[in-house]
Amino acid sequence: MNLAWKEMKKSKTKFVILGSIVFLISLLTFIISGLANGLSQDNAALIKNLPDGTIYMETAAEETHALSVIDTETEQPVLSENDGAFAFSIQMGFLLNEQDEQQSVAFVTSTSSAEFPEVAKGEIILDRSLEEDGIQKGDRFTNSQLDDKFTVAGFSDGAKYSHAPVAFIHPDDYAEMYRTEDLQMLFVPKAAEPEAIAGLQSFSTEEFLNTLPSYSAEQLSLSMIVWFLVVISGMLFAIFFYMMNIQKLGLYGILKAIGVKTGALFRMIWVQMLVITAIALILSIAVSQVFATLAPGDMPFYLPIGITLQLSAVFFAIGFAGATLSGFQIRKAQPLQAIQQGEG
Amino acid sequence: MIFSTSNIKKSFTTGEVSEEILKGVDLSLVEGEITALVGSSGSGKSTLLTIAAGLQPASGGEIHFDGEDLTAMNQEQIRQIRAEAFGFVFQSAHLVPFLTAEEQLLLMLETAGSPLSKKQRCGEAARILQSVGMGHRKTAYPASLSGGEKQRVAIARAIVHQPKLLFADEPTASLDSTKSREVMELLQQLTKTLNIATLMVTHEEDMLAYADRVITMKDGRLA
Ligand SMILES: Nc1ncnc2c1ncn2[C@@H]1O[C@H](COP(=O)(O)OP(=O)(O)O)[C@@H](O)[C@H]1O
Ligand SMILES: [Mg+2]
Repeated sequence: MNLAWKEMKKSKTKFVILGSIVFLISLLTFIISGLANGLSQDNAALIKNLPDGTIYMETAAEETHALSVIDTETEQPVLSENDGAFAFSIQMGFLLNEQDEQQSVAFVTSTSSAEFPEVAKGEIILDRSLEEDGIQKGDRFTNSQLDDKFTVAGFSDGAKYSHAPVAFIHPDDYAEMYRTEDLQMLFVPKAAEPEAIAGLQSFSTEEFLNTLPSYSAEQLSLSMIVWFLVVISGMLFAIFFYMMNIQKLGLYGILKAIGVKTGALFRMIWVQMLVITAIALILSIAVSQVFATLAPGDMPFYLPIGITLQLSAVFFAIGFAGATLSGFQIRKAQPLQAIQQGEG
Repeated sequence: MIFSTSNIKKSFTTGEVSEEILKGVDLSLVEGEITALVGSSGSGKSTLLTIAAGLQPASGGEIHFDGEDLTAMNQEQIRQIRAEAFGFVFQSAHLVPFLTAEEQLLLMLETAGSPLSKKQRCGEAARILQSVGMGHRKTAYPASLSGGEKQRVAIARAIVHQPKLLFADEPTASLDSTKSREVMELLQQLTKTLNIATLMVTHEEDMLAYADRVITMKDGRLA
């Protein structure tokens, strides 16, 4: 007999309340993790969109890429020996339009690569978000460090760095603006084992992101909130089932007296936990996905379904643990005490 | 004789003090008979009943049921015997609040591992509820039943799986005298027709008329 279901049908309110709380907490968790990912995309899409591989910068730069300089003698052999390898630089700066309005951008230049668009001298390729802001192909921009003008040659998707849109420029323009022929970093696509290069320090893309101070601080606090919410919801399950079990200790005692197996009682709370969590999660996944499509464009919100499913799995695991923990009271429920209490 | 105990002892230790409540009890139960156990409050009647029913261990002695010694069994074996061969009626009905009268019985059949099909179980539950006069309240939840009705459902649950033994600890204590008599008549009739060996604890003189044998508990022994 499906005791779990029978009880839920009889005490709908109790279970609807628990379900709503799980729904709200998981929705909040999804939305915050959507924001965390959105911010992380906004902060580092340029790097996150790179394929698996290794980023090298000068050891002497002490993990600050703006200080790193890779000379040609080091660069050349790496580029010629590794298919798909390229050198690149990132510098924060700004563009001025014809009305002298300022637009912050991250200037990125690279040797020829499959990952970053090819740009001609005097031209510029901007992140798609600027097209949405009204900038058009052919628009012209100046920069105080450059004599010539940049002409917008096109737009690129997912090119964000340090919360600024990326502007891809030609290495010669870069050299003129920053007065150096050398680039800052090397990227080598996934090799079986990242090769050690004398004088250079290697980073996975994830390790590289963590060298950016704003990135790690931002992500740390957001993921802390996400995990707090997950833990709170786990405790909520434990507390809720604990309270319900306390009320039902007498009943458990009686059921054990007449011979119902302890396992059957555990199964009862597990099924209840699973059903409530499943319904609550399906609803909050749906709502958070709708939210993702409705969120205003300039709100950094990015919630791939994969992340939602991962979090959902964690919710299930923690709900299960919470329900089981509270279920240990069932083990303690003594048939005898229950019988001798004269209620019910 | 289907059930007997020999030299059952039970002591409780509270702090430093150990008190022997049962000092060697020999009890036997006979099929088709109600054995009434009487004695002053605190004399150890409930303790003896629960030990006999395998709900708590004895400090010493043996319990023979159907040729086996309960005291030599593990928890799981005892649970199985309780589920299959014992029925329980308590002072309060102790029904499952979220099951209908009929479902209370179905749960018992399932717990006892009844060989009946689903349909047969429903038929059996209906028949038993009918026999305790509750056929018309099949779909009622405990909250909507009166005290007497609940106790009838509890009795139906206790016998629906055709147990060999029925343990009843003050089954009428929470009922008025008319209802008490009805419940006792029911227990008597079921004991006879189903050939159950019933052990009933009571402290009500009136109820002894329904018993086949009366034994008195005094100073931890049967008098
Ligand atoms: N678990 C226990 N721990 C300590 N003392 C107990 C326990 N169970 C019963 N007793 C004591 O054993 C005595 C007999 O109790 P009980 O069998 O319930 O009596 P009766 O049912 O005859 O009124 C009482 O003095 C009671 O306090
Ligand atoms: Mg008693």
